[in-house]
Amino acid sequence: MDILSIVTPLFVGLIVAGTVIGIVFGAVPGMTATMAVAVCLPLTYSLGLDNGLALLLGLYVGGISGGLVPAILLGIPGTPSSITTCFDGYPMCQKGEGEAALRLGIVSSLVGGLISLLVLYLFAPPLADFAIEFSYVEKFLIILFALTVMAALSKDMLIGIFSGFLGILVSLIGTYSVDVGGNGEYRLIPPGMENLLDSGFSLLPVLIGLFGLAAILDDAENGIPAGQKASDVKVGAASAFSFSMFAGQTVNLIRSSLIGTFVGILPGVGGSAASILAYSNAKTFSKHPETFGKGEPAGIIASESGNNGLTGGALVPLLSLGIPGDSTTALLIGAFTLQGVQVGPLFIGNNPTTWSAMIIAMLIANVVMFAVMYLAIRHVARIVTVPKQILFPIILMMCVVGAYTINYGIMFDVWTLLIFGVFGWLAVKLRLEIAPFVIGFILGPNAEVYFVKSLESFGDLTIFFTKSWIAAVLWVLIVGSIAGSVFLSRRNAAADAAAEAEAEMEDAATS
Amino acid sequence: MTFTRRFIVAALGAAAFASAPFTAVAAELPGNVRLVIGSNSTGGDTYQAASMVADALSKQLGINIKVDAVGPNEAFKAVGRDARGTTIMLHHDQSYLGNLYGQRGYEDIFDAYRIGPTVAINPGNAYLVKKGSKYETIDDVLKAAENGTKVRVAIQPGGVSEIGFSAMKNAARLAKPGSDENLVAVNTGSQASKNQALWDDLADVINGSIQANEQFAQLPADDQKAMQFVWITASPDALKQAPEAGMGKLSRDDMLKYAAPNVAVPLKDGENFDFDKEFFFIYNKKMDDGIVKQIDDALAAVYEDGKLPAELKKAFFIPDFRPSDAARTHLTKKNDTYSQVIADIRSTRASK
Amino acid sequence: MGDLTHVTVDFSRSHLIFPEVIGTILVILAVAILIRDRRRAMGSGRYWREIFARMDKLRFFGTLLLTVVYFSAMEPVGYRFPNLGLGFLFCSIPYLFAVGFLYLHHRTFRAALPVAAMALVAPTLVWWLFGSVFLLTLP
Repeated sequence: MDILSIVTPLFVGLIVAGTVIGIVFGAVPGMTATMAVAVCLPLTYSLGLDNGLALLLGLYVGGISGGLVPAILLGIPGTPSSITTCFDGYPMCQKGEGEAALRLGIVSSLVGGLISLLVLYLFAPPLADFAIEFSYVEKFLIILFALTVMAALSKDMLIGIFSGFLGILVSLIGTYSVDVGGNGEYRLIPPGMENLLDSGFSLLPVLIGLFGLAAILDDAENGIPAGQKASDVKVGAASAFSFSMFAGQTVNLIRSSLIGTFVGILPGVGGSAASILAYSNAKTFSKHPETFGKGEPAGIIASESGNNGLTGGALVPLLSLGIPGDSTTALLIGAFTLQGVQVGPLFIGNNPTTWSAMIIAMLIANVVMFAVMYLAIRHVARIVTVPKQILFPIILMMCVVGAYTINYGIMFDVWTLLIFGVFGWLAVKLRLEIAPFVIGFILGPNAEVYFVKSLESFGDLTIFFTKSWIAAVLWVLIVGSIAGSVFLSRRNAAADAAAEAEAEMEDAATS
Repeated sequence: MTFTRRFIVAALGAAAFASAPFTAVAAELPGNVRLVIGSNSTGGDTYQAASMVADALSKQLGINIKVDAVGPNEAFKAVGRDARGTTIMLHHDQSYLGNLYGQRGYEDIFDAYRIGPTVAINPGNAYLVKKGSKYETIDDVLKAAENGTKVRVAIQPGGVSEIGFSAMKNAARLAKPGSDENLVAVNTGSQASKNQALWDDLADVINGSIQANEQFAQLPADDQKAMQFVWITASPDALKQAPEAGMGKLSRDDMLKYAAPNVAVPLKDGENFDFDKEFFFIYNKKMDDGIVKQIDDALAAVYEDGKLPAELKKAFFIPDFRPSDAARTHLTKKNDTYSQVIADIRSTRASK
Repeated sequence: MGDLTHVTVDFSRSHLIFPEVIGTILVILAVAILIRDRRRAMGSGRYWREIFARMDKLRFFGTLLLTVVYFSAMEPVGYRFPNLGLGFLFCSIPYLFAVGFLYLHHRTFRAALPVAAMALVAPTLVWWLFGSVFLLTLP
């Protein structure tokens, strides 16, 4: 095999095209990397395997990365895996630091992508062997660990956890699907709604409803106050970004990338869990965890290196077990079978050229992603200065397009958008907390399957503690994360109590 | 769907699309047809078969056909709403097996919809064990059940993945009434979780496919991931049409060794059970006879031409064209056979 | 110990296990919150009256109403032009204009012009790009 015979101008051109289209799909709220790969999959038939993969891998890397743009600038996660980028990116943007946040995110994405690629290249088969040590029990504990971030994200611990569990409950509405090993029965569906709710609420319309539509409703309620003026937005030289923002973040950057990679390697844990776990870890180990959720650069670094770390990781089980690591790589299987190539434990050995082509394509895609986004940022960051009477209708329309197309044309997904838009607006008024709700909603279905299947398979509650050393390690992490959140909340509560006591005295004085 | 067609479509753009003739003339397919499939995945076999057939069909008829992976429930709803031929559906045996197994969201398709032509078979449905398992063949499994040993079989309940398991139960019941109770289902979902169930020693036998599991069968016995085929459910007639080279290291002759009659799962006296996963069209109950005939004729021409069958074979499908009426008869017969198997194993359970 | 922790899962009822666990936790948490925040809960009537008094009712309910009309109209309109995505295009243009116009602070002809341009260009571009180039299904 000759590297030069793979890297033709067409090959590179397709990677560039794929990456750019992917970024656009990722950046449009409601459009995802998965969708970008799905719409371009039929093209690969005539392109041949190596060139087809060049296009698809470009789309994959671009799509995952593009999600940070609306997450930071509009507070709407462009893809589910950029949900935690919203938590700190959007507050930074509101302070006029949108450009700095974008640059942080892009650099982190590049690092995450490259680290995971290195892991993929060096350790794919042994890691796949390690991944299959994870049975239902260990997977449940990983999800449980990711769920502990609900506590960390809560402003008021009790209400936050309530919101999180509410999110889990809402995610269970519909069918306990046979596709995940369930019994295909309906639950939690109000009578008469079976025909609409049999598949439950889809994740993406729920997300863009809660973050996109709800924010617009909130603005409408307040009479559409004027947006950010161009003079408020720090761009170019005025932007606070410098690489020194990464000082002290090396550990965070590498840890988050590796977490993302590892979550990708585990089949069936889901892409969104990668950035959630990375974020939760960054907060737990941070010296000033109270700044997370208020525009903390370390949060963006964790989230974006985590979700790009996923890209290399998710290819590990695909190429060494024939099992996709996330929903996008599931589509890549289609590209292989279209060409009559089997993916399985022997893939890398049998197809050394394609394997090298994939690694090279991923490498180029990451570099292209970085270059394109880094150069475009100055212009993109000005989106926030577009007048709201122009920007909001377009966002609403894009949300509709995303919701309708995510499952290839289902009107109920559009109504879901409205339902959760209104719910999101109401929830804030009711002092429910959206962030833990969303985490619960994303992780709920997996938590259920792995919990119920663990009991079904092993028949004993103690299995969660005794299954393996991996389970023991996970329990240490879970307990550590909960203890950290409780400690922090106590400290905040003490500060709040002092402030509230003061306010109450004022209250009493006025009434 | 080729490069050129896409680019032409893109280039023609808005104007051409808006002026595309919307044929109001009865008994003819409209210019833009949506083909919904009973799978949510655009990476799976249903989507693949659908896109190949749709591509050939749209070229033959000179219309646009767009494939949408909306999943079974939404596909049935969409096709049930639209009798104009603008929405048609493609699915496989799951569409009636789901009903036979009493799954939510499945009606009797022979009653609620109109059955269109069959187009292809995926001959890959298979059962596997761990390499070095005490069960070397499906016969060992049935014998073990007869002798009172519990054998755990990982399947996805309620359809294509379960039907072979039901056949094993039926065979056990025929050999020794009551021994079917020793075949226990381990209910899992995706192929990944079925494999995992085998590696975690939660199952002795798993449902799988030639395409997804063949490489695991090539692994040396000391690899913890190594598997071995014990049964390929496809009919010998279908397998004989598979490419001679087979898939990976599994040649067509090897496949036939794992299929009936070499591996026998008795259905009743003197007859073996087999199961071909067949893809076919499903139409709205009230769809016009003219459109049905138009699609039948177009597909007949396409299969005659030979390009689509070759393409299907390359992707490890067996071309399997039957016009609507023949397809209906054929599928009704399959439905009745499997319905009997399921009823028989249920009745023994109930009588105990 | 062994007996206490032992669980047998009845597969036909397994769809209810997790909802029951989560539901129980939710009820406990809800009771805890009500006890802790009972004063605030009692004052919720006043709280909501204040919100309604303060809100920009035209823009808020206008957005909701327009959105409901938009969503309801899309599929019936699209049904008349099967599989062309025209339901989306024909409904989006008036909807985008109406919402944009609603959000204007000074509703003059001059101010409405960019809104009208946006309402024409954006849906057409999206319809062409996603419907015709990427071949996604639109209503």
